[in-house]
Amino acid sequence: MGESPNPDWMNQWQAWSRQYAHAWQDLARNATAAPQPAAPAPWPQAFEQWARAFAPSSAGPGETVDRLIDSARSYATFMQSMLAAAADNPQAAATPWSEALRQAIPGLAGGVFQHPAAQAWQGMQQQGSAGLAQLLGAFGGLPPVPAMPPADLGELKSWLHLPSFGVMREHQERYQKLALAWVEYQEQLGRYNQLMLAASRRGFELFEAKLAEHEPPGLQIDSLRALYDLWVDAAEEGYAEVALSPAFREAYGALVNAQMRVRALVQQEAERVSGDLGMPTRSELNSIGERLQALRREVRARGGAGADAGLADEVAALRAEFATLKASVKHASPGGPVDDGVKLRRASDEPGAAARPRKSPRGSGERAAAATASGNFASRIEEFASASLGAPRKRAPRATGKPAAGSRKTKR
Amino acid sequence: MGPIRIEPAKLLEEALATQRKLGAALQTLRGLDDVDFGVTAKEAIYREDKLVVYRFKGERPPTAKVPILIVYALVNRPYMVDLQDDRSLVKNLLARGEDVYLIDWGYPDGADRWLTLDDYINGYIDRSVDAVARHAGVKRINLLGICQGGAFSLCYAATHAEKVRNLITMVTPVDFHTPDNMLSNWTREMDVDLFVDTLGNVPADLMNLCYLMLKPVRLNQQKYIGLVDILDNKAELENFLRMEKWIFDSPDQAGEAFRQFIKDFYQGNKLVRGGLKIGPHEVHLGNITMPVLNIFAEQDHLVPPSASRVLGEHVGTDDYTQVAFRGGHIGIYVSGRAQREVPGTIHEWLAARSR
Repeated sequence: MGESPNPDWMNQWQAWSRQYAHAWQDLARNATAAPQPAAPAPWPQAFEQWARAFAPSSAGPGETVDRLIDSARSYATFMQSMLAAAADNPQAAATPWSEALRQAIPGLAGGVFQHPAAQAWQGMQQQGSAGLAQLLGAFGGLPPVPAMPPADLGELKSWLHLPSFGVMREHQERYQKLALAWVEYQEQLGRYNQLMLAASRRGFELFEAKLAEHEPPGLQIDSLRALYDLWVDAAEEGYAEVALSPAFREAYGALVNAQMRVRALVQQEAERVSGDLGMPTRSELNSIGERLQALRREVRARGGAGADAGLADEVAALRAEFATLKASVKHASPGGPVDDGVKLRRASDEPGAAARPRKSPRGSGERAAAATASGNFASRIEEFASASLGAPRKRAPRATGKPAAGSRKTKR
Repeated sequence: MGPIRIEPAKLLEEALATQRKLGAALQTLRGLDDVDFGVTAKEAIYREDKLVVYRFKGERPPTAKVPILIVYALVNRPYMVDLQDDRSLVKNLLARGEDVYLIDWGYPDGADRWLTLDDYINGYIDRSVDAVARHAGVKRINLLGICQGGAFSLCYAATHAEKVRNLITMVTPVDFHTPDNMLSNWTREMDVDLFVDTLGNVPADLMNLCYLMLKPVRLNQQKYIGLVDILDNKAELENFLRMEKWIFDSPDQAGEAFRQFIKDFYQGNKLVRGGLKIGPHEVHLGNITMPVLNIFAEQDHLVPPSASRVLGEHVGTDDYTQVAFRGGHIGIYVSGRAQREVPGTIHEWLAARSR
């Protein structure tokens, strides 16, 4: 500081500045193809003109473009601040970069709502359903609640605790409860924003510390982008310190819970209105959905794919047993009735058979009993296998109250 | 001498260069083709509700006898593993002879609000494993779980060990209470019952905003200022947009599963502390006795390395391998380094266990 700027340098700088201003003008002109004034527009005006060229209908990836424009706007602001600082102090070494940065960096000069995390939380209010404020207006019977300082919120809360009377007391009480939830949400949002402000301040402290590391000759930052990237590193570190703290954990949880209480109360009002209009409500749909899911689990547990696999295993075991029996009979002395190489032993031939209950394969019922009566073990197995594994079989006749001709009525 | 020495001329030139890039943006963006993703051919081998199990088709038949089933997280779409021709874990695994299957969970809607972790793990994953085993003609398969899908795979392998031959976990949270876990810090005081009872399914946009707040300046601003640098490069811009699509193309989260995941994993940390029950099964990581390969990313902002690297202390297997990848949660799939290192690591580890 203190050195007089070189007049030649000043002339050069002014020429460059004009070039920069014209470049913005060209950018806007090329984007819109609209007639432009002869004098260059200020850069914010030119920037906005350029940004308008990306109207939703003109470019495909809309959200990305929006983010690009927002970020480019922030970066252009940053560039402009630095250029202004350089113009005021053309000797680079003496330029008050620190103050210029303080003006340019979101969350410091421009207020807490410029911190991206605070902006993101504002966005979160809109996600998942309509914005809270609109919902409150639509279903809560409440006018929009303006942002208030904490002291006023406390006063409002005490009013909302007043008892209600008369024929409308129930309605009044519900509205008060909803309004109270909203006020409490505002309180929590205020706490969260304070933490974001602390994160911004801490980020700048870290940034200054990082800058100090670049003081030795040869380590100086020599580009705008490098400076910006250094700030981002510091801002993220400052934010992480806050976001990982127990205080943030508590404040964040309280904020989420407060917002959910507001949403839940608004939903109750919406339910009440829907009920009055004879419309299905969300809790009814939820109830149906829950029952349906429980039923699906039950059905699957009883007879779904798992049951098919179980039956397949059972049939495989029976087949193996059948093969063993077949082999053992082949080696034994032949005699008595033989079917398919197997000497059949009728159930009635077994000692004590009359007193012992017969055990039927699962799902086979009377069909299996009939097969046993016929004495054909092989056909029993085949029949059981096809019934269990879904092999081609005749479709059961539609129930008409009368047995179909030639069919046998079965009990299950 | 101060820390900043930006020559005014250079400063102005930098500003003009940025202006030029912005000027090119409109033309480049208008000239972009539709961004495609999921480049490898595949066939559906199993469907159930919104879930589809795909088998990827390589240029040659697989040489590996045991297939890999990729179990992706519920919170993003699984095409991250096959994003584009030169950034595809799947393609690189196929090229090495692996037989690769993948579970695509689909997009849950109101009808899926009541799906629990039991439904996902003992239901969908178990039946998908059966379907893959049947299709490949084997009794046991290799499971590759990613992020939340890795946590699910740990639960599954611990309770259905007879169906898992080898287990691979990638960027998988195990200890949810490490001090550098930001998501965990944020969820600990949340009343998740009130949250799910109010929202039902958790909207994808809400999840995305939450992830963006992990690195608010970098992800909301710096990334797009970096985008200015490539505004005049169509190919680079398409890569950027492909990634952007993946980041924001997120499914809603089934309410009940979300409730249990937050309560038992993030709040209760039961995967390492014990007491985790998925349906009828108690989950004990000590029951994981098959070989385990655990790959995590050293710069992971979603799943800190500290959350992953403890797995070796808890599993019951004697054959545990841990690999630290130099990169982030996304870079482990799409970076150039990932293409060179990750598929080869998986393939060689599996090959050594198939001899």
